[in-house]
Amino acid sequence: MTTTTPAIVTRDLTKSYGAATILHPLTITIPRGEVFGFLGHNGAGKTTTIRLLTTLLAPSAGQASVAGHDLATDPMALRAAIGYLPENVRLYDRFTTQENLVFFGRLSGLSDVEDRVADTLAFLGIEALADRRVGTFSKGMRQRVGLAQAILHRPELLFLDEPTSGLDPMGVRLLREIVARLHASGMTIFMNTHLLSEVALTCTSIGVLAQGRLVYHDRMEAVTAKYGDERALEDLYLGVGLSEVTA
Amino acid sequence: MPDLRSPIRIIARRDAREALRDRFLLVAISALSLAALVSLVTGAIALKGDAATYAAARATLLALGKDAAAIAAPEFWPLKLLRGTLEQIEIMGAVIALIAGYRAAVAERGRQTLALILTRPVRHWQFLAAKLAGGLMLSAMTLAVVFALTALVLNGISGVPLTLSDLGRLVLTWAAGTLYLTGIYTLGFALALWLRSSVSGLVYAFALWLVVVLVAPQIGDTMDPDNQVAGGVFASLQIPKAEQDRIKAGFAGYETFRNGIEVASVTKHFERLTFALLGIKDSYTGKPLSVIWADKKGDALFLLLFTAALGGLVLMRRINPDQLTQET
Repeated sequence: MTTTTPAIVTRDLTKSYGAATILHPLTITIPRGEVFGFLGHNGAGKTTTIRLLTTLLAPSAGQASVAGHDLATDPMALRAAIGYLPENVRLYDRFTTQENLVFFGRLSGLSDVEDRVADTLAFLGIEALADRRVGTFSKGMRQRVGLAQAILHRPELLFLDEPTSGLDPMGVRLLREIVARLHASGMTIFMNTHLLSEVALTCTSIGVLAQGRLVYHDRMEAVTAKYGDERALEDLYLGVGLSEVTA
Repeated sequence: MPDLRSPIRIIARRDAREALRDRFLLVAISALSLAALVSLVTGAIALKGDAATYAAARATLLALGKDAAAIAAPEFWPLKLLRGTLEQIEIMGAVIALIAGYRAAVAERGRQTLALILTRPVRHWQFLAAKLAGGLMLSAMTLAVVFALTALVLNGISGVPLTLSDLGRLVLTWAAGTLYLTGIYTLGFALALWLRSSVSGLVYAFALWLVVVLVAPQIGDTMDPDNQVAGGVFASLQIPKAEQDRIKAGFAGYETFRNGIEVASVTKHFERLTFALLGIKDSYTGKPLSVIWADKKGDALFLLLFTAALGGLVLMRRINPDQLTQET
């Protein structure tokens, strides 16, 4: 595997439950170093896509390669290369931040786990939370500790599922800054969201999913050139979504 | 080559640590220890009295200048006093194990921690094996505390020292108990993991517990003709063994059916094995371990197979992350 290998390549990746198709054949390539914003209404299939790409779900059809590792044939190497922050992350309430992170760090195979935890806490500016039990945390604090477990092992590719959901404006801003710093460090980020402002401020490329179908995919510069400001982006988002719904 | 045991060790240790911080489990384990001790204390006091009576008689003989051998030294069987302790483990210990198994499943299910674990280089079977290992560690630690306390109290109150053989039998009983509780823990864990809702799993697990731990052994005991009179019908009528066997032979079909109900319960196998090991059942009091093993290896095997089979089923059934990582 070389660093020129795309971060994500899918070909006709599909997920169905019986007769219901949640994700229609998805074919997409996301280069390394991108901050990819995956937009879509609730129930559009964004979380299902992340669950497929992180090996939590088995696809019904199609293929995918994540960080150069095939989803079907090399899931263990794939998992070692990714970080994942689910929506509404909940860690072990009776454990402190430090204990939670040491646990997940060890599961990722880190040998210098204590040092990594200290570095990650410092990177996120949450050293003060190290010895506090996670069960006492607010949503924003939990989200940042959740992010810490996702980047602790310095993954090549980070999946964030609605990372700003339920955060106050300060929390959203902090998260945006962290994503920017992670991107600057070379990490590829795949972010599910329906916050258009976040996409405009954070992402380098976007995809729009409507009713399980990828209906738009382009680089952010192209989107900006074509649609101008955030308002136009909103029109695009609602337009493709609505036209799909009414089709 | 990757160390396959490593994730198992990491997750199992975390589970055991969490259990030790779980207030409910700590209270339940303390209650089990207390119940085990309470059932022991009266017997230990009576044993102390017996030992004191013998010591006084012996001292009197010696004071009179007579040979102490004039009265036979009594044989004390302190381990017989653990009957109540074993019954507490059978019933109360099983409830605690069941709930601990359920809690081990819900600690991950419906929370995103399962998703966080399964998106790391951990195989599904390793995660499941770790959860079972956590149950094994918890059962072993709980019973180690219970038996250590009972041994100390028995020694301390009765003043009758436990011999090396007694301690060996206690260790074997601890191992059997660990196997028994791990099996029940696995049952609670499996049902809470497999069923659509973990609460339904707990309800089913309790229903099974009721049948396996309470109803089946109770029916078997109640149907035993010899149990119809306290102390036993045959004993109270002073019927010789040969005559007992002749009478029983006339009820062979009934006895097979009654015994069948009893042996369907893992609890009964645990009880038969441990009552023999500790000499609680009179016919095994003072018998060497080789004799007990010859008679009771079937019960030991059943206990082992019950736990191993349940564990095997858990390991073979693949996790459905789609169902288990849905938020609750």
